[in-house]
Amino acid sequence: MPLEILIALVVGGIAGIAALTHVAGLSRRRTFDAADKARTGWLREFPDDRVTSVTLLSDPHAALVEADLGAGLVWAMGADTVARRLAGARAARRGDRLILRFPDWGAPRLALRVTEAEAHAILSHLKEAP
Amino acid sequence: MSATVSFPDVVQWAVPLFIAAILAELVWILWSGRGGRYETRDAVTSLIMGAGNVASGILLGFIAWGFFMALWAVTPLDLGTSWWVILLCFVLDDLRYYWVHRFGHRIRWVWASHVNHHSSQHYNLTTALRQTWTGTFTFMMVVRAPLILMGFHPAMVLFVGGLNLIYQFWIHTEAIGRMPRLFEAVMNTPSHHRVHHGRNARYLDANYAGVFIVWDKLFGTFVPEDDAEKPDYGLVQNLGTFNPIRVAFHEWVALFRDLLRPGLTLRQRLMYALGPPGWSHDGSRLTSAEIKRRALARETGAGNRPARMPAE
Repeated sequence: MPLEILIALVVGGIAGIAALTHVAGLSRRRTFDAADKARTGWLREFPDDRVTSVTLLSDPHAALVEADLGAGLVWAMGADTVARRLAGARAARRGDRLILRFPDWGAPRLALRVTEAEAHAILSHLKEAP
Repeated sequence: MSATVSFPDVVQWAVPLFIAAILAELVWILWSGRGGRYETRDAVTSLIMGAGNVASGILLGFIAWGFFMALWAVTPLDLGTSWWVILLCFVLDDLRYYWVHRFGHRIRWVWASHVNHHSSQHYNLTTALRQTWTGTFTFMMVVRAPLILMGFHPAMVLFVGGLNLIYQFWIHTEAIGRMPRLFEAVMNTPSHHRVHHGRNARYLDANYAGVFIVWDKLFGTFVPEDDAEKPDYGLVQNLGTFNPIRVAFHEWVALFRDLLRPGLTLRQRLMYALGPPGWSHDGSRLTSAEIKRRALARETGAGNRPARMPAE
């Protein structure tokens, strides 16, 4: 197949499928509006944990999870979830946002809009982490 | 040996078919409300990975091609290009695919390339196109060497490999339940391959087949789809990014970070590269065997919980 036709097909195909899915409402991010949703998301990644508490955040796309094997955050990955422990993460405050950087090239950064109390709760776990 | 044999690049010619089938699956899901899930960024990432795979083939394909032609120059055998030779080549290449795929899940160096194909939490036709950019660096082209030394022309070997990939496209869907029993018994199907993409403990390291599921049955890696346990798609530890660069290279970065850790023995460094994914020198990570053992312990209530996870 001539390269210019292949490139046009690929670019047009990607753009068309992206537009169609977006218009169909398939770009919505998962929200954690109940503790059970956050707990389920956490246990998908850390099934050996016993979750002791879940804090829903003012940012509905993330939650703070405390578990016996270590606290962490579960957040929306598009329509799905991802979770990481806070151990080893670094944090910085930028206005009303808390920027977290994880020691993981596959999940490098998370920006959350949080209240002072929520930021304090997350940061306190960073300090506790071994 | 003749070097003038040529076959079409069937994967490139199949691109319009891929796009049409994805649109058809998407419209079916939107119309019927069943048959799978799509998410915009996930789908776009998968499609960009597919485009990158084609681009890497154009840029780096000469390496494997040069290796194959060097083998072709030294082999005294030439089986020709009759239809039965192409058919035999297709079947033997599928056996080759089974082992390369199995290595891809059991050897971290190869997994670093293949992992991106499993990095979507969705299972639809775009997932089929979420292909590696770094396959050349796994050196798995050596597994094709026996075919060429047996007298199958390199162009034919690549042609049947392309057909194999095209076959595997349609099985990446939840829109098809099960095929007729005889078909399910012999061929790889959406049901068998859903198991392969499941991150559920019971589905890990199963169903490596490309076209013929009989290889898994023969080599003891077949696991049927259990209607009571729907596959949960993705990685044991899912990615927190849609960035295609990170999707393509994250495991290579992690691998080389481990290789270059101070204080390890040579054996430990080799195990980080050539051991199974999840191997670690201090036991702080889980291989698929350990994940299965712990899942079984949880199900049977035999508690065997880890101590607090050490920091990275």
